[in-house]
Amino acid sequence: MRGFDYFKPRSLNEVWELKEKTPGARFISGGTDLMVQIKNQELCPKALVSLRSIPELTGVEVGEVTRIGALTTISDIIQHPSLRHKYPVLVEAAKSLGSVQIRNVATIGGNLCNCSPCADMAIPLLVLEAKVRLKSAKTSREIPLNEFFLGPGESCLAPDEILTDILLEPTQLNAKATFLKKGRVKMDLAVVSVALLLETEGERCCKVRLAVGSVASVPLRLLKVEALLEGAIISKELVIQVQQLAADSISPITDVRATKEYRRQIASVLVRRAFEKVLG
Amino acid sequence: MKTEISFILNGSEVTVSVDGHSRLIDMLRGPLGQTGTKEGCGEGECGACTVIVDGRAINSCLYPALEAEGKNITTIEGLQDLKNKLSAIQQAFVDCGAIQCGFCTPGMIISAKALLDSNPNPSDEEIRDALLGNLCRCTGYVQIVEAVKQAAIKLKDTS
Repeated sequence: MRGFDYFKPRSLNEVWELKEKTPGARFISGGTDLMVQIKNQELCPKALVSLRSIPELTGVEVGEVTRIGALTTISDIIQHPSLRHKYPVLVEAAKSLGSVQIRNVATIGGNLCNCSPCADMAIPLLVLEAKVRLKSAKTSREIPLNEFFLGPGESCLAPDEILTDILLEPTQLNAKATFLKKGRVKMDLAVVSVALLLETEGERCCKVRLAVGSVASVPLRLLKVEALLEGAIISKELVIQVQQLAADSISPITDVRATKEYRRQIASVLVRRAFEKVLG
Repeated sequence: MKTEISFILNGSEVTVSVDGHSRLIDMLRGPLGQTGTKEGCGEGECGACTVIVDGRAINSCLYPALEAEGKNITTIEGLQDLKNKLSAIQQAFVDCGAIQCGFCTPGMIISAKALLDSNPNPSDEEIRDALLGNLCRCTGYVQIVEAVKQAAIKLKDTS
């Protein structure tokens, strides 16, 4: 591994100062993706600025708006009683991420900022319509997660910006959501993942949110499918139509884990299973 | 640029001077001479490098050494007692034949310890889930799961 300096600032102010003083420095949170990229020399940072000792980036507050600090580990999400109760779909996805060792270190903010199309945290957060707070030395903005991802490894973060918090509105009492993931073995990255959130009034469906992973250049919300279902009564025929539209709305690639044809097929199947699971 | 850090390793305070790019496994196996922890893949897939940091199992190949400052770290060397007697988990691995070449064993045992410390009564599924991040290329996992179950019983009897 090529040499680099490692800084452990204690506050966000210290972070901005270090970043300005150290050109070529990268931020590191859990590092479970970054350390592998460095080892494989896909990344050769001049320095790493660790975000792990900054109190502002930690903690979970569940309330009218729920705030999850970006440095919250995946294990902490799984063990958080209020998150389990209020956002079970997020916890379901967290349980499917990597191994115990990875979950104990990997962070929710890091999972998003790594901008992998298969990011396990992104898919449930998209159907929960999460917002992310991005801060730099002089600016602070909140954007829907949907607008955060630009491509594989690419987000709308400016070089000096940090994703500090994930913000969640409460879900309706009658909302049901699920997360499904297909990998070869349990610890794998997703070949395809799907999250679905459904709010119904009687038989009519008043709100649908559907997101898929590993089938496009970004974790993707299927807005066309959502529009098709808004106000509709869900039938077997309609779900078949939804499966087709979902398969047509994605652009999977062939890689070491699966072919694009297989991904398209599995995406369609997982969409059907998600509806079956949510509708009971 | 080297930085001096202190932390607790297997119950004793240690102070080491490390480079910014050192990983925890480099520091353990290098300046600290604790070679029980193994490096397999170096990418967080195989779990041979598993150690416990503040009660949680982690991959020391993905953990920047400087993050160890102030932490409480347990490696396989920390499991034997003062009389060099094997711990219950180690003995159970021997008794169940849960070892062949032995390379994955320190990581397996550390993952098992992290599990049993927080959940003394794990189901088979919980054991398999806790060991998902530890690969064994020799024996398969049946004896390993058996060893963890046996260790859980022994630990309950002695406590």
